Amino acid sequence: MSEAPGTPGVTPPPGDPTESRIGVDSWVAQAEGRRARRRGPARLLARGWEWSPDPVKLLLFVGLASTLPFWLNEGDLFNFGLFTLLYVALALGLNVVVGFAGLLDLGYVAFFGIGAYTYALLSSSHYGIHWPAEATIPISMAVAALAGLILGSASRRLLGDYLAIVTLFFLQAFAAFTNTANPTVHGVGLTGGPNGIANLDPLTFFGYKLNSTKQQYFFLVIVVAVVAAALHFINQSRTGRAFRALREDPLAAEVMSIPVNRLKLLAFVLGAAIAGLCGTIFAASFTAVTAGSFGVPLLILLYAIIILGGLGSIAGVILGGFVINISSQFLAPQNDHPDVKRWLFYGTIVLIVALMKPWYRAVLVLAATIAFGYAVHAIVSATTVATWTTGAPVAAGSRSIRDGIQGWVVMPHATATGPHVNFNTCLYIGLVVAAVTVRSLSGWWRLAALVPTLYLTAMVWENILAQNPSVTALILFGAMLIALMTVRPQGLLGTARVEIV
Amino acid sequence: MLKKVGAVAAFAALASVLVATTAWGSAKAPARASAAAAKTIKCGKTVTIGIAYPATGPAASLGAPQFDWASYAKKRWNKSHKLKIKLVVGDTKLGDSPGLAVPVAHSFGSNGKMLAVVGPAGSQEVQDSIGIYKKAGLVAVSGSATRIFLTRAKTGNPRETPKGYFFRTVPNDGQQGDAVASWIHNKLKFKHVYIIDDEEAYSQGLANQVAADLAKFGVTAGRNHISQQQQDFSSVVTAIPANTQLVYIPWQLPGQAQTFYNQLHAAGRHAKIMGSDGTDAPGTFQPNGNGYVSGFPVDFTSSVLKSFMKAHNHQPETFGIPSYTATLVAATAISKACKAGHGKTTRAAVRKRVPKVKLSAKAGLLGFGIQFLNKNKATYQGPGDMGGTANFAIYQITSGGSYKRVG
Amino acid sequence: MHLLLFNIIDQIRSLGWGGAFELLRNGIVLGSLYSLIALGYTMIYGILKLLNFAHGDVYMVGAFLGFGVLTAFGGALNPGIGLVPLIIIMFAVAMLGSGVLGVGIERFAYRPLRNAPRIAPLIAALGVSFFLENSAQLMTNGFQYNYDAFQLGGKNGNFGPLFDPVFTVAGNPVTVVQVLVVGSAVTLMAALIFLVSRTRLGKAMRATAFDQEAASMMGIDTDRVISSTFFIASVLAGAAGVMYGLYIGTTFYFMGFLAGLKAFTAAVVGGIGSIVGAMVAGVLVGLIESYAIGYVGGQWSDIVVFGILILFMIVRPTGLFGAQAIQKV
Repeated sequence: MSEAPGTPGVTPPPGDPTESRIGVDSWVAQAEGRRARRRGPARLLARGWEWSPDPVKLLLFVGLASTLPFWLNEGDLFNFGLFTLLYVALALGLNVVVGFAGLLDLGYVAFFGIGAYTYALLSSSHYGIHWPAEATIPISMAVAALAGLILGSASRRLLGDYLAIVTLFFLQAFAAFTNTANPTVHGVGLTGGPNGIANLDPLTFFGYKLNSTKQQYFFLVIVVAVVAAALHFINQSRTGRAFRALREDPLAAEVMSIPVNRLKLLAFVLGAAIAGLCGTIFAASFTAVTAGSFGVPLLILLYAIIILGGLGSIAGVILGGFVINISSQFLAPQNDHPDVKRWLFYGTIVLIVALMKPWYRAVLVLAATIAFGYAVHAIVSATTVATWTTGAPVAAGSRSIRDGIQGWVVMPHATATGPHVNFNTCLYIGLVVAAVTVRSLSGWWRLAALVPTLYLTAMVWENILAQNPSVTALILFGAMLIALMTVRPQGLLGTARVEIV
Repeated sequence: MLKKVGAVAAFAALASVLVATTAWGSAKAPARASAAAAKTIKCGKTVTIGIAYPATGPAASLGAPQFDWASYAKKRWNKSHKLKIKLVVGDTKLGDSPGLAVPVAHSFGSNGKMLAVVGPAGSQEVQDSIGIYKKAGLVAVSGSATRIFLTRAKTGNPRETPKGYFFRTVPNDGQQGDAVASWIHNKLKFKHVYIIDDEEAYSQGLANQVAADLAKFGVTAGRNHISQQQQDFSSVVTAIPANTQLVYIPWQLPGQAQTFYNQLHAAGRHAKIMGSDGTDAPGTFQPNGNGYVSGFPVDFTSSVLKSFMKAHNHQPETFGIPSYTATLVAATAISKACKAGHGKTTRAAVRKRVPKVKLSAKAGLLGFGIQFLNKNKATYQGPGDMGGTANFAIYQITSGGSYKRVG
Repeated sequence: MHLLLFNIIDQIRSLGWGGAFELLRNGIVLGSLYSLIALGYTMIYGILKLLNFAHGDVYMVGAFLGFGVLTAFGGALNPGIGLVPLIIIMFAVAMLGSGVLGVGIERFAYRPLRNAPRIAPLIAALGVSFFLENSAQLMTNGFQYNYDAFQLGGKNGNFGPLFDPVFTVAGNPVTVVQVLVVGSAVTLMAALIFLVSRTRLGKAMRATAFDQEAASMMGIDTDRVISSTFFIASVLAGAAGVMYGLYIGTTFYFMGFLAGLKAFTAAVVGGIGSIVGAMVAGVLVGLIESYAIGYVGGQWSDIVVFGILILFMIVRPTGLFGAQAIQKV
């Protein structure tokens, strides 16, 4: 992607104004010092991670991933394990196109869909074809790769955002084709329209069926490990270096006689093939494909994963997949752990406050918030009608937590017709305004504003968010993306790239 | 190079270990699945029911009334029964990417307290996830999945759900399609009909059914499609032939249907308009004096309905009422199973109780009684469907905006 | 395929000239809404090189603000004040509110990322979009809200004066609201062109878009210029939201997604960064959509729209009015 003229490409250090800007000489000179500043276990971890050879890292991942089935039940294994690995594998493929080659491909999910539909057509009663997986997996990958080749060669002249839009059209056209066009082939709608294709065969290798979630999970562990290893080798090779050159500056790469067009095609094809592979596994373990499954929301999730982990970093993508899926699964309403959600929420807030320096400020703020809460609760219950503080927290696990919250947070009794109809709306907008205010203040004023804001956060959580867990998950996801980009734009394991101005 | 070879070797060793473990996993799996159904679950004071519906995503506006009604059923049940029920929500994100009906089914299956499930909402969701519910021994009682073949086996079309695991508290597309088509042909005597579906499974199924039924009567209907995210229908209106007497719109979103009616009217067209149970929302869909809907024969004077409306500050979203009924069916089955098992029960026992549940028309709110074991040949549809008098009513929307039952 | 082609020809013949005109009218009205939103994409892209994914949601918020004003004055069926002042207040509140929202988004989500890699603000934009869309769902419980625009100012639930025909072409009416939408869109666009080409602020905007660093060295307060750009872009989106509410009659939390996508498309097809391009391409997208629905059928319309656009982009990668991109070394 060509850098726009005039965009200064250096990243200011987040938070700490005394540090020099990334990329300038003094920043490079301070590198050792920054590393040495980490202390204790954090330093050990960071050092250990830096020094351990890559096969060890892979073994570590496979080893940890293989323990999951031993302490998760079937359903949790599906949601926390299988799903995560599927996202990881998909994100690894996307990482080739976006992270390695720097092509903004917004049509990636379509290849995933093509793989899934190919599997569905070849291994179900839809057309009565029941081919084994050793045939269908290569075919799906080849079909997806071919689609990638076609899209890639059609759009290889396009740059940056224009490439993005054409690939996005491709995704939209694919979605429209599967959902609504559904052309009739041999008397049956090819894609099944909005009903999709159901009752797919499980993956079958040489007569051996992967029926249970556990088997599918282990298979996926192998797939992720193989894909990660393969991508690692590619990244280390000549081709990998060429990809990096292409990403940083296509024109300079071309001048250096790197075959830019062929590399772009290669990235598309490679990414599409991995997506196709994921598609077959997705279709087989969900036992159904539905048209709506391959759309923009999934694409956004995948982008969030690779950005969170750090563009171009394989380990980062794996970490990103775990963080994103597991946090969203915890917030998902069907995983019925009300106390866990509450601890997660308050824990995160306390943690963020605790990061404040010096430490006594954090203690001060937390103590003030607690006191503030009791004061507000007392005032409200003394001065207004009783219904303002008689609401009960939803889905509070144990009695003591429930009572504690009820005594601290102002919770109106839930009636749709009382004076509280617009209470929740005002509360929510109030919180957004308060958060923005805190952000724009500084010094002691900020601390002072933080106290009521934190209390407001607790009120919003108990009154609104905890009651609508599914919407909440998405709101928090959005807020997390914004916050992460502000704090660490290069992602968790990504290296801050020094962009040439 | 040596490093690479080492890595590959380590990797191969690992893969073989994994394959071995995989094989081990397979040997154990089947035994567990049936165990889930037979596992004893203590009823205690509160029993758990899952409700799978689209809480977020493009179909969230359908899910909202379903959840409101199910919660209302819970509230009423808990007021009058010693054994309380608790709802665990599962967000299936119908129509979103990826749809989560299957993961929700896995979650519910592994929730050790769960005894029955209300939902899933969409027919395709039922079809995708029923295998997992079966594996977990859970029964699914849906309040909106209407596709015929989910329960009924016809020549060439296999029954899509395993017997005894899927029930629904709504009449199916076949019943609704027949009622609509015969009303159009026999009562209205219209010859020029135009059908528009909204490109999702519910609407397409119903539209196809009505088109097929009308074709039997010798009425050929024009056809067009809109999407659920579309709001400007002016070009669709243009495409409707001028001599059209009735436009049939079996859509899920009553707001969309009202917009369509307004645009049709504003373009100077005088065709009548007919909606389905999805648009059966007196507060929103008001084609005054020019419209019909097929909907549940709900008794609007019922005190339960009135108090729901009072609590929710809007008109009765009748699309959600079958979820109220489904929740009651599940709760009744569980409480009977608990009583029979003296405070303990199993998913299998609950599942076997569901078909025996009977609710009166008054209790079920839908205007017809719930009974799954009616063997009356004229009306019986198949195991999992309601027998008895379950069918749709046709309402005419008067020029004053009220829904008047006409058929 | 053969059959489809015959169907299309049949449909064109059966709709005749009247139908063709109706589709033209529908396309232009819808297209001017797309244009207004597309302008926001293109202006923000021009100045920050950022695809502001949240822009469609600003438009959604604008529609809800208009609805809020309408409800506050007693709803469409018996508004407390006259029709003209009501509509003016709706526009004013929605435009101002969206403008402030846009400035807030820029200030708190994008400004801290001014010097980050280009992908960072893009992801922050996705985050803002998620946040706004789902917050709106939380506030509205996922229901569609009815403007009752058709009955606005009418008696006893009959159609109001907004849907009176202004003139007819071959028996096909063009209503007040259609004229209002196209008219105010054209006015706003003319004002925008004047602002960008003739005022000091416009000059500063152009300078900042051309080279931010150089502009700031010349004494231009680029942060303020960028804030103003977001304000103007969001004001246009807010206006489009109210127009949509008045013309279509409903508003709901998901409406920003598809409209945003179409407008974004229009911005790119017009040559992203080009103001005239966005206007023309917006109308073009509206027309293609309208004719595709009318002649080919609703299920093919998205495929036709996106298919034509893919072909177009491949043939002319820089868009209608886009300058040939000069790659820097």
